[in-house]
Amino acid sequence: MEITANYNPPDSGPAARKFLALGVIGLIVFGIGYTVNKTQFYNSYLLAYIFWTNMALGALMLTMLQHLTGGAWGVVSRRILESATRTLWVMVPLILPILFGGMHSLYEWTHTDVVKADPILIAKAPYLNETFFIIRTVAYFVLWLGLITLLNRWSAQQDKSLESAVPATKSMRWISGPGLIVYALTMTFASVDWMMSLDPHWYSTMYPVIFVVGQVLGTFTLLIITMVWLSGREPMSKYITKAHIHDLGKLMLAFVMLWAYVSFSQFLIMWQGNVAEETPWYMIRKKDGWQYLAIVLFVFHFALPFLLLLSRDLKKNVRKLAAVAGLLMFMRYVDLFWLLRPRNEWMFEKAAEAHDKSGHVFGPHLTHSFTWMDFAALIGFGGVWLGFFLLELKKRPLLPVNDPNFEEALNHVGH
Amino acid sequence: MANGSASAHPLAPNPVLDPGHNFNSIGDKINAVVLTPKFRPGWVLGLLISFGLLNVLLVSVAWTIFRGVGVWGINIPVGWGFAIVNFVWWIGIGHAGTLISAILLLLNQKWRNSINRFAEAMTLFAVACAGLFPLLHMGRPWFFYWMMPIPLPQALLPQFRSPLVWDVFAVSTYATVSALFWLVGLIPDFATLRDKAVNPIVKRLFGVLSLGWRGAASHWHNYEMTYLLLAGLSTPLVVSVHTVVSFDFSVGVIPGWHATIFPPYFVAGAIYSGFAMVLTLAIPTRAAYNMKDFITDRHLDNMAKIMLATSLMVSYGYGSEVFFAWYSASNWEKYMMFDNRMSGPYMFFYWSLIFCNFIVPQLLWSKKVRTNTVILFIISIIVNIGMWLERFIIVVTSLSRDFLPSSWGMYYPTVWDFGVYFGTIGLFLTLMFLFVRFVPIMSAFEMKLLLPESKVKGGHH
Repeated sequence: MEITANYNPPDSGPAARKFLALGVIGLIVFGIGYTVNKTQFYNSYLLAYIFWTNMALGALMLTMLQHLTGGAWGVVSRRILESATRTLWVMVPLILPILFGGMHSLYEWTHTDVVKADPILIAKAPYLNETFFIIRTVAYFVLWLGLITLLNRWSAQQDKSLESAVPATKSMRWISGPGLIVYALTMTFASVDWMMSLDPHWYSTMYPVIFVVGQVLGTFTLLIITMVWLSGREPMSKYITKAHIHDLGKLMLAFVMLWAYVSFSQFLIMWQGNVAEETPWYMIRKKDGWQYLAIVLFVFHFALPFLLLLSRDLKKNVRKLAAVAGLLMFMRYVDLFWLLRPRNEWMFEKAAEAHDKSGHVFGPHLTHSFTWMDFAALIGFGGVWLGFFLLELKKRPLLPVNDPNFEEALNHVGH
Repeated sequence: MANGSASAHPLAPNPVLDPGHNFNSIGDKINAVVLTPKFRPGWVLGLLISFGLLNVLLVSVAWTIFRGVGVWGINIPVGWGFAIVNFVWWIGIGHAGTLISAILLLLNQKWRNSINRFAEAMTLFAVACAGLFPLLHMGRPWFFYWMMPIPLPQALLPQFRSPLVWDVFAVSTYATVSALFWLVGLIPDFATLRDKAVNPIVKRLFGVLSLGWRGAASHWHNYEMTYLLLAGLSTPLVVSVHTVVSFDFSVGVIPGWHATIFPPYFVAGAIYSGFAMVLTLAIPTRAAYNMKDFITDRHLDNMAKIMLATSLMVSYGYGSEVFFAWYSASNWEKYMMFDNRMSGPYMFFYWSLIFCNFIVPQLLWSKKVRTNTVILFIISIIVNIGMWLERFIIVVTSLSRDFLPSSWGMYYPTVWDFGVYFGTIGLFLTLMFLFVRFVPIMSAFEMKLLLPESKVKGGHH
């Protein structure tokens, strides 16, 4: 046990408490929004919720990926990623307000009178209905938490001794293959349910891929910032080298390119195809100011970080790399905002009309811009999430000493 | 763990080079194949069969050019037929070579060293086969240069919005860079062969090919830099080529083609078929030349794992198309998937494709299967067939039944379609047979880097 003690993390408790306090304040302020505008409240809720939950889910993906591929980056990152996955427990109760309160404010297909008047929504009703939506969301969380629990349990077992590490390592590798399949399928349906069905007529087979790539890129930004923070402190300052940071920078660059690749491919195919079923999604995003946000995304989510990350010197400079990661983390939020917020106005009007007739009150329209509620939700969820992340981070040694690739990973010099 | 080493761990991976080799034995063993004057009977027989098939290609191509593409089964509505199926199939096969040589190099995967030369050669030959098809499909291949944006007398410029034009640029760039990459990698080995050759003509030939290589430190420095840069250049190229190929279909509006997931799904499919072809070729080669200590079971295991992973990716693509065809609530999309592909006139091929590409590769979850060369060889052939069927399904089912039933039409390939197709397999195999005999099939110096004595302890050099 004296060996693992060498890798005990620095005390992140004070920082965690600050984040938690900030989060609680943010959530209280955000709660006031509920009384002001319910539609806006739930839309801001969904956006912030997905942004922070993605950090945990991307970490789950990367944990499993590194078990399968090996590599020095995985060994040095794994404990950080595992800490991020364990925060998913905190996100479980936070989905409940959406499932049992917000669905009507978010999803048009939950309004039976709207569905009745729309043949496409009637055809989709076997999938897009409230009961099945709730069942699916519960199933996603059960599967994700199951994987997270097993991976974390075995990882702890790996630390105990070299003997217990062998079956534990085998188990983690064994589950990672099927685990990634589960991940891919649940993410596909989750992205359709939570995000794509906000515009219930629209569909794109690339959309889940864009979602997953963005999610993993978000996790890389978090990982790099955490790694840089840890590399300046005991014990990681002794073990983390520039080669490790450099590798993470390369992987982040790869995901920046991948994000641009999948996002642009979807756009090009839809633009050139010019089919009435698909173009509305882009039509609403090329007016009312959304087009400028698209340019911002192109420049700051792709072009600038791409050019910066090409430089080897920058990837080896921890401060500069962390700055680029920070920019990208912010752009991840902007990208999600661009995906989630622009909405087909006529659909809302149709829904409002239908509600007027049936005597229900449909809340005030969604504001098509960044509101104080978005800000409060981002800070609220972010504070809580980061606080729990830092609390989890200090629970376990930061490096898996009994990993088969441990020595090789620490001696990694790169090229 | 202070006194333990990484290799002491019970789960440490097997070495990528069997023990018992030294600097001399590696070079001798690899070069022996090329420098032996005798021809082995098995090699001669294989070459003769391949050469026979190559002649089928000559006859078929001659007849196609003489009579026009009407001798093929293509018609309206199925204007693409075998030509495009085979083009995509061959291009896809070529991609594994670049993946192994460039991407695995960038990812620092040492096991690539014994198979990269082989895989790169495969890339070049596959791209050559692929290039034939669009060329012949033009009908008048002697006007191929009309595809280029050059000032022609009739003031024609290609339609730049068409992905078919992007194909011209993507494939020709890819072929050029792949050839450069392969040749640069061969320079040090050509120099070794020049020094070892006895026959003065052979010596002269390898002397020219090795570009005056003397093995100076500055040569090595430039070499390493060039190789790394070419690897960096090849990586986006390999993705771009199959992405553009996928655009050939997906920017069209025909159901079954117009799917946004096509670009990554095509790239995964290309890697999948490419690795299947590497296994199809590597398993017999390593047996024939007794190279089991260089292309170890770990290599086969790793390639099988990549095949399994890419199989799951393309299967995700199939599943995604099915789900979104339903979810779209569009009559055309639903008809294409459920009534045409799954239960239409070509349903046999659709379900065969699912069997070959999704069901059979699930066997690769078992380590026993991954290290059993016979079963692995059979699976690799099945995957090659499956990937051909996939392209057939995409091209033919969608074109044969579009939006208007009055414009529907069946597609039946003719003997000349098969002649050109099997002929390109003959061309490919002929080139492969010549390659394994006359060029070192592995990079001797890269293999030497795998020896324990060439390891420099981290940070001390």
